[in-house]
Amino acid sequence: MPARAHKRFVLSDQPKKPVATAGGTFRGDAASFYLPDFCDSRAAFAIVLIAELTAIVLSIARQSAAVGFWGELARAALFLLWVGLVSAALLCWLRPRLARLGVGPGSVAALALLTLVVAAISACVSLLGHSRLVASAGTGAYFPRQLWPFVARNTVIGFVISAVALRYFYVTYQWRRNIEMRAAARVHALQARIRPHFLFNSMNTIASLTRSDPALAEQAVQDLADLFRASLSDRHQTITLAEELSIARTYQRVEQLRLGERLRVHWDVRGLPPDARVPGLMLQPLLENAIYHGIEPRPQGGTVTVTGERTAQLISLVVRNPLGERQAEREGNRVALANIRERLALLYGARALVKAGRFDEEYIVTLRFPYIASAPPAGGTRPAHAAPGSPEQ
Amino acid sequence: MLTVLIADDELPARERLRRLLAEIGCVGVAGEAATGREALELAARCSPDVVLLDVRMPGMDGIETARHLSVLQEPPAVIFTTAFDQYAVNAFETRAVGYLLKPVHKDKLAAALAQANRLTRPQLQYLAAAAGEPRRTHIAARRREEVRLIPTAEILYFQAEQKYTTVRHLQGEDLIEESLRTLAEDLGNGFVRIHRNALVNVRHLERIERAPDGRYSVRLRGSAAALPVSRRLAGELLERFKI
Repeated sequence: MPARAHKRFVLSDQPKKPVATAGGTFRGDAASFYLPDFCDSRAAFAIVLIAELTAIVLSIARQSAAVGFWGELARAALFLLWVGLVSAALLCWLRPRLARLGVGPGSVAALALLTLVVAAISACVSLLGHSRLVASAGTGAYFPRQLWPFVARNTVIGFVISAVALRYFYVTYQWRRNIEMRAAARVHALQARIRPHFLFNSMNTIASLTRSDPALAEQAVQDLADLFRASLSDRHQTITLAEELSIARTYQRVEQLRLGERLRVHWDVRGLPPDARVPGLMLQPLLENAIYHGIEPRPQGGTVTVTGERTAQLISLVVRNPLGERQAEREGNRVALANIRERLALLYGARALVKAGRFDEEYIVTLRFPYIASAPPAGGTRPAHAAPGSPEQ
Repeated sequence: MLTVLIADDELPARERLRRLLAEIGCVGVAGEAATGREALELAARCSPDVVLLDVRMPGMDGIETARHLSVLQEPPAVIFTTAFDQYAVNAFETRAVGYLLKPVHKDKLAAALAQANRLTRPQLQYLAAAAGEPRRTHIAARRREEVRLIPTAEILYFQAEQKYTTVRHLQGEDLIEESLRTLAEDLGNGFVRIHRNALVNVRHLERIERAPDGRYSVRLRGSAAALPVSRRLAGELLERFKI
């Protein structure tokens, strides 16, 4: 699964678009194609409106002495309506097929199609203007005099306008998609907040400690407050890796009170650069899952191992826990992983990787993302919670 | 005086309950258990009146422990405690099973103790069903003063007698009071009914034999006896193994 997820990022990364598509796929299905659905009545109405407005602009710009303003408007409007509605009908009909071609070939095909429509309608108009019907009605002034220059001119204009329109649809689609993705990430962030299970159990521990060890109870309340402050803060803010490690250690401290000797956490994160930029609450949920699924169900407890290292410009973080007695489908776990994957992808695009799976008797989650140092806050000193890593390499 | 057994895997949680019970007064703590298994042993030894049972415990959870407690000669009343297990709380509400939310309020604990009841068999079954997976990992059999827990994996077959059900397992035989029908429901696919009075563990199935008269019987690994398959269930059995 992780390998495929990674491949998805690559697939979805279109050349013109450095926008991260978290877990999103660019299968060639109609639902995810950038062209709007022209079968929709609102789209048809919009096309009529645009055709009329363009006709007005054109008529004002080049009033010909032959037919006057209204005549000019009538013929331009009629011509543009034909072009607009025929194009819309064709795109409506062919959209699923274009979508199957993919973005690149689909766009080329759509552009060719639209240019062809303009050329064909121009030719029809020209031919009609030379027909006996028009001549006998005495309305020849409304039609172009020469066939080929008219068709050629319109074809070039049609090509340029179609290309601009397609580009507009593409950009709008990407923009809307990005907004939707951010909204989804926000919803997932809400779902992935610290478990209520943890909150109430911690409250219970604190209630017990207030009598037996008030000082420890006080510390536990402070730790809990820090954790929830981090949990409630804006998820799209990035923090430093040192801060994230500090949050994870605070979490471990609270759980330690409750689980006692059953919980052992082995930290090996000295090689990590403390100033790396990471999305907030990225490591803590992994630690929480490891404890909830790997340590709590085991009567004898166990050890969670957190290892971090930096190779060249990549940071990797690995959280390992022994498998619980019953390793059923881990619903909460999948939500947390999907959330972390999304947020890393929003930050780093295809360069971030999240892998998870069971190996032998362990459950292992691996995060890998590029090292980007966060700018130090103006005049402020950042608390260095983690041991500083080697800056060179 | 009311005697109470506290079962919770977290030490601070046990300490707090013990203190609350001391404050309520007229209540004796029979013991503290950190796992379901410990709770079962202690309950068999000291016969407490009430067990305060945490729903989420490692190994054997509270719901399964409650099932095994009900096998005791003098089953204790059970009050579940939970920090946050929505499915369990819903099930307790539906079947009017006593429960307390952690952190426990002293007056609520006192009130719960005053009206604590033994769990009835329908209540227990409902709770187990509501918990869904995981299924029962053990079958509890009572032997005088102790409860013996038989891992379901070690069970060869169940055979219904007049009033009891015999459990034949790798370590020997025990008698339990549960019916084959509830056992079959609880244990799910790993066990197959081959006769009105026999439920067999598929894992230990060695072979299916056909006698000259057309009747089938099964043989199990670790048991010499051949168990007859009823005509009615033979079809299902053969179908299951695609014979």
